[in-house]
Parts: sequence; C-alpha cells; structure tokens
Amino acid sequence: MKNERYDAVIVGSGAGGGMAAWVLASKGLRVLMLEAGRDYNPYDETPMFAAPRDAPLRGTGTPDKPFGFYDATVDGGWQVPGEPYASAPGSEFMWWRSRMLGGRTNHWARNSFRMGPYDFKPRTRDGLGVDWPIEYDDLAPWYDKTEAIVGVYGRNDGLENHPDSSPGVLHKPPAPRVSELLIQAGCHDLDIPCVPARRAILTRPIGDRSACFYATDCGRGCSIGAAFQSTTSLLPMALATGNLTIMTNAMVYEVRLDDKGKADGVNYIAKNTGKHEVASGRTVVLAASSGETARILLNSKSALFPDGAGNSSGQVGQNLMDTVGAAMRAQFPLLENRPAYNEDGAMGLHMYIPFWLYQEQARGELDFKRGYHYEFGSIGRREPGVGLGEVATFAGGYGRSLKEDMRRYYGSFLSFVCRGEMIPNAGSYCEIDPDTKDRWGIPTLRFHFKWSENELKMVRHFQETTAQIIDRLGGRLQGSVASPQQSISRGGEIIHEVGTARMGDNPDSSVTNQFGQTWDINNLFLSDGSVFASKAHKNPTLTIMALAWRSSDYLAEQLRTRAL
Amino acid sequence: MTTERKAPTCVDRRTTIKWLAATMVAANTGCSSSTKFLGDEIPAAPNAEKALLGVAATPSNVGYGTDPDLINPVVPWPRTMTDAQLRTAATTCDMILPADDQSPAASAVGVPDFIDEWVSAPYEQQQHDRELILGGLEWLEQQSQSHFGTTFSSANGNQAAELLDSIAYPDTAAAGNDKLIEFFRRFRYLTVGAYYSTEAGIKDIGYIGNVPISGDYPGPSTEAMAHLAGVLDELGLSLPS
Ligand SMILES: Cc1cc2nc3c(=O)[nH]c(=O)nc-3n(C[C@H](O)[C@H](O)[C@H](O)COP(=O)(O)OP(=O)(O)OC[C@H]3O[C@@H](n4cnc5c(N)ncnc54)[C@H](O)[C@@H]3O)c2cc1C
Ligand code: SF4
Repeated sequence: MKNERYDAVIVGSGAGGGMAAWVLASKGLRVLMLEAGRDYNPYDETPMFAAPRDAPLRGTGTPDKPFGFYDATVDGGWQVPGEPYASAPGSEFMWWRSRMLGGRTNHWARNSFRMGPYDFKPRTRDGLGVDWPIEYDDLAPWYDKTEAIVGVYGRNDGLENHPDSSPGVLHKPPAPRVSELLIQAGCHDLDIPCVPARRAILTRPIGDRSACFYATDCGRGCSIGAAFQSTTSLLPMALATGNLTIMTNAMVYEVRLDDKGKADGVNYIAKNTGKHEVASGRTVVLAASSGETARILLNSKSALFPDGAGNSSGQVGQNLMDTVGAAMRAQFPLLENRPAYNEDGAMGLHMYIPFWLYQEQARGELDFKRGYHYEFGSIGRREPGVGLGEVATFAGGYGRSLKEDMRRYYGSFLSFVCRGEMIPNAGSYCEIDPDTKDRWGIPTLRFHFKWSENELKMVRHFQETTAQIIDRLGGRLQGSVASPQQSISRGGEIIHEVGTARMGDNPDSSVTNQFGQTWDINNLFLSDGSVFASKAHKNPTLTIMALAWRSSDYLAEQLRTRAL
Repeated sequence: MTTERKAPTCVDRRTTIKWLAATMVAANTGCSSSTKFLGDEIPAAPNAEKALLGVAATPSNVGYGTDPDLINPVVPWPRTMTDAQLRTAATTCDMILPADDQSPAASAVGVPDFIDEWVSAPYEQQQHDRELILGGLEWLEQQSQSHFGTTFSSANGNQAAELLDSIAYPDTAAAGNDKLIEFFRRFRYLTVGAYYSTEAGIKDIGYIGNVPISGDYPGPSTEAMAHLAGVLDELGLSLPS
C-alpha cells in the first residue's frame, strides 16, 4: 500500500473526515484515511452500563480524563500528552482534542441544529462579519441527506430561522421530562418557545444501528449505534465498500506539493515507529478539526506558498470563533419530593429553547446582534455520582435530617445554559508558535482570543431572561449573578472552535470556495469546521457534516470529469 | 500509559497548625465569639511524629493515565490513610449519614475507604482535598482529646456533635474557622457523593434508571404528571396546547 496513489487522502476520522470518507468511498473512489489517534472499537470498548462506583474516584473527571473516567476520549481532553499548545499573553484559550479513531464524535453531546437562512447571510442582516458564499437553500438538500444517514430526533415547528427538515427525515423526539415540561409552561407564559431538541440519536433503528434504549450515558459512546459517532456508522459503511483504507497512529504534519504547486499527498509520522512517511493522492482532504487543519496548512511552507499552503489570502488561522457560553443554576421548591420515575431518557436534551427574538432584533429593540439558544443541565433525577454532594452543600447540616433533605431536594435543581453566536474579531486567531514543537518535532499552535462587546451584551440578556424564567417558576437562583465578563465561557471552552480557513466568494479574503476547495491549490479540500464563515449559535457538527458531504460530491464530480 | 507528576506534598500535623495559627490570630484579635475549639493547648512546635492520628503514607504520583481500560477499571494508586485516620473518618461519615430505617450508615457501605482512595490520588484537586481532610481529621482528634480527654471516635455523641457543630454551620461558626468550615463542607460533599452512588444509596434516594427500555421512552408516570399538574396550578401556568 505504501506506493499506492489514492484518489483521495483524508486527514482525520471525526465528523468531517468520516463523512468525506463515506461519500467518496461509496462513489467508488479509492480513499486513504490517516488518523493521528489509535484505533478504537466502540463495540468492545464502551462501558455502557458500568456504575460510577466501579470507576476510580466514582468516575469523577481528572486531568487524565477531564470529562470523567468513562468518557469516550482517548489520550486527550484539554491536553494531549506531548502535543502542547499555548495561549498568547492576555488570552486564554482551551482546546479540546482526542486521539482516537472517530475523534470527538465518540463523545459529543449530539445536539444537532440546522443553521437557517439568516445564519448564512449575517453581514447582509446586521453589517458585521462576512456572509457565506452559499445560502441556506444551497445546503438544505445536504442537511436532509445528512440527517437521514446520521439519524436525528426532533420535530418540525416551523420557527423563524430554525428550518424544518423534509417530511420523514426526523426521528420522533422522546417525551419531555417533568422539569422540561415545567420550563415549557413557564416559557409559554413569557412568550418564549420551548420545543423538542434535535439530537443525533436514533429513536428507530437504521440498518445495524439500534434505536436508543434510554439507559446509558451517551458521552461514553454508544455501542448499539443509537447515538451517532463516525465509528459506528460512517466508517464501517465506508469500509464495507472496500474502497477505504484506514491508517491510525499517523500524525500528518504537512501537505506535499508537486513542482506545479498541486497537492501530491501528505507527509506524516508513523507514531509507532517515529518514522517520517509519505502518503500520495490525486486529492487531499483535510478534516483534522479546525485548529489542526489550520496548523497543517500553516506548517506546509514552500517557495510557492511561503506563508503556508492555501494561505495567500493570509486568512488561515484568522477568524477563530467559539460558541458563547454561560450558565445559571436554580433550585425549585415545587419540584421537591416529587414522585420518582425513570428520567434518564436519551440522557441529554429532550427540549430546548431556540432563539426567538429575530423580529425584535430587526426592529432594533435588542442591544446585541445575532442569537443564542438555551440548553438545560442537571435535568431531573439522574444517576448519582460524586457531584450529588452539591445537594448536601445546598441543604446544609448533617445527620438524619440531611438524609431526609437529600430525598427531598434530589432532582429539584436545573441549570440553564446559554449557547450564543460569536462574531469574528481581529483579536481571535491562531498562529504557529515560534518557540514550541510537539514530541514529533512539529511546530505547535498559539491562540489569541477575545470576546467583543456584542457577546457580553448577549450574556447580559441571557442572564436577565433566565432570572425571569426562574422567577416565574418559583425557583431560587444558586450563587450570585456575576458580570458578563466574569460569567462568559473561556475561548474554546464550549468546544465549537471554527472559522480558521473560511470559505467565501473572493480569493483575497477567504481560503476556500463554497465547496471547501482551496483557492490556491485546486486539489486541496478542507472538510471540517475551519471553513465556517460565521459561527451561528447552533452547534456546528451537523453543518460540518452537511458541508463535508456537499464538498465531497463536488470533489468526486471534478475527478470524474477530469477537471482535477 | 502513565504520566509523571510532581510528588504530592505529605500532609501532617504542621498543616493543621498552619490553619490553627490563622484561627488563633482571629481569636486573639477578639473577632471570634466562641473560641472553645480553637485549640490553645496545642504544643507550640509539634512535629509529624506527634500527629495524634499518625502520619499518612506518601501518596503515589502515578495516575491511571489518558487511556485506561474502561471495561476493567482499576485504581492504580495505593491507599495511604492510617488506621486511626480511617477510624476518625468513619466516625465523621456516620455522623453525616447515620443509619436510619431506610438505609445503612456511611461506613457500612465503604465510604471511609472511598475517602482514602480520594485523598491518595495523585491529581491536583485530590491533593488539595488531602491537605484539607487529613488536617481536619487531625483537628477533630486534637480537640476531642484536649477537651474531652478521649479520642474523637470514642467521644460520646453529644461531645462529638458539639465539636462538629462548631464547623458544620457557617452562619454560626466562630469567625476565623474558615479552613475548618471548608474541611467539613468538602468532607460532607465527598461522603454524600460516595454514599448515594452505592447500591444502598441509589435505592434510598430513589434513582430509577440505567435499565434498557424497548420501544419509546415512556416519559413521566401518571403520578408524576398529576404532581406536575398541581405545580402548574399553583404557579398559574399551563402547557402550550
Ligand atoms: C464533550 C463535547 C460535547 C460536544 N457536543 C456537541 C454537540 O452537542 N453538538 C455539536 O454540534 N458539537 C458538539 N461538540 C463538538 C464536536 O465534537 C465537534 O464539532 C466535531 O467533532 C468536529 O468534527 P471534526 O471532524 O472537525 O473534528 P474531530 O471530531 O475532532 O476529528 C478530528 C480527527 O482528526 C485527527 N487529527 C487531528 N490532527 C491530526 C493530524 N495532524 N494527523 C492526522 N489526524 C489528525 C484527530 O485525532 C481526530 O480524530 C462537542 C464536543 C465535545 C468535546
Ligand atoms: S442513551 Fe441512547 S443514544 Fe445515548 S448511549 Fe444510551 S442507548 Fe445510546
């Protein structure tokens, strides 16, 4: 296989890479996928029913496993051993990575909201940032196809800028839990919509993948295939075509260029031997995640492209965006001592609050641009772990009365979580750190990050609205409300980093065209969140996959017609 | 795969004394109302060997690494607490969660051993808690011995409660007891978290789940919906139709 020249060499096996591999392989192209992490088998490795008490520290997160012992993250988290990154002075950026087949799709929360018509044309709407080179309608068919293959539960509610899916695409959403119904009733009174969430979880089987059985934490991965992850769907499907070869432990560090300036494959380090190796292909698709894709491009310096491959616009690494995060927690006396029933459900959100103030915003009644949605945390009477100690801190005291208080307060808390849109700004970008290399000798990234006024005003609006909702439900806010500056998440903390090689209509101000094809090198494609021109408040992964599919269709067509 | 970490600090009686020094300053400046348990009988320069509960073993600096076997979990670090520390911890746990007619006491379901697992772990948070908890347990023992002339685990219920009350209620606790209040809060947090994740604890608190359901998720039970209807009524709310 060493000498084989593939039709496409794909870097990364997560959401973007998984989709590209399946689409290209199913069209009969010969595909090689290189993945920096180890092979990972969710059927054997997922601790589906394991109890927290059987894990070290009851499964509590540690620097080795920040989201808990059972979390489906291998050799990763906020740090990857031997692969550092830095934040520039005055910035604090957090970068979540994992090093395993399937990348972060093995444990993501599966919240899957479509971007809407406004989201693709933000500059047209409010004069800030840039527009995408496509409209919602251009991507809509790929959203449908992606949802159908991924499997998404949800409901069509016909809401402004929250597009419906085509009939028959969505799976039936699970019934709301008591606390979600309570929120819905409160919101109804306040004229705020609260509707079924959309998550990449099957509630009816697809092929070998079973429907959710409502019992196990999706963050550990899902060995029955109900929760979407590339390792139980796209990758096995792509392998079944016989056209995909996967090589794990392959750390790609640059795109190879031939003397005409075309991509010729990639150079990588075989981690098991430490040797530098070459993979060659007629096209190269980078899907290593927004940060890593920018890093590979910036590290691919040549006489032709001294600032890195695909970077004649100077936009590679720029326009780094994450989701605006904030949270408020409250206790609800009316939820105390309520009748117990099984509240696991599909573990995560059954309901959510989509952004609802587009008309008010258009009339100039809001002091911020763009939108945010609500997700909810600690929904109900969930499986106890160490964190339940919080309830005792709330109750106070000790002894028999504490035991009674625990029964009384368990399941009476709720967290309200803000997920908002960030507008790109000149102070938020990544670049190659001149001082640091990783364990393989590859130069690493340094991040610059800052929020602008708009995001802080958005957080303030969220805080005021949340206080109203809590109040309407007779809740007691836990902790005091800090200023937006103190409450807003740190850059990268919401793990929706996108935008580092944005698409556009103009080669001077963008890195790729609408198909993720780099302007500079026409057989080099980007197939992850790096191509986002804006970061709607909607969680990015569904859109990453829809774009990856559209881009792969185009790539295949270009190869077929010998345009490449 | 394991990761090297800097050797954790060994917690001994000096740590306890550091806090006490702080609380005593507060006492001497007169901002404290109840100084009974602020320990004026503590020797001026105690050393580790004199720790009443003995000195815990130096913890390992090896964690479970970034790719542990999730199907067969093991705790790779040895426990480090002394028998006397464990005894004091057990007494404290059982005062926090005693047996009642619904469920056993905390020590009956292994909570002291969990505390030992926790404070012996090589990670930063656990090492922080180690200092707090081993120091706090030593403090309880010192106070008990000097005021009641007996170990904390054999003090009678009223004495032990008097001692715990002085740090369990932040609103009424003596000023300057901040570190001790933090000790108790953290110790209670861990005790409760560990307890309710055992089988007995889960049963007591009434968590129903982790069982596969075939077909649709059924949603709230009839009783739960009836209860919700009452709640909505009280709030003057209704669900959208
Ligand atoms: C806890 C958590 C919850 C989340 N919840 C949601 C959610 O609810 N909704 C949502 O939309 N998003 C969510 N996300 C974000 C989501 O996981 C990412 O948007 C998505 O996985 C990005 O896909 P990707 O293909 O770009 O990158 P990844 O999934 O990260 O895959 C990239 C792969 O490339 C590999 N790679 C990197 N560098 C190299 C290299 N140099 N050579 C070879 N291979 C390389 C990596 O090892 C990795 O396997 C969540 C993330 C986390 C961590
Ligand atoms: S709750 Fe459902 S989707 Fe999530 S891991 Fe369990 S079975 Fe899979």
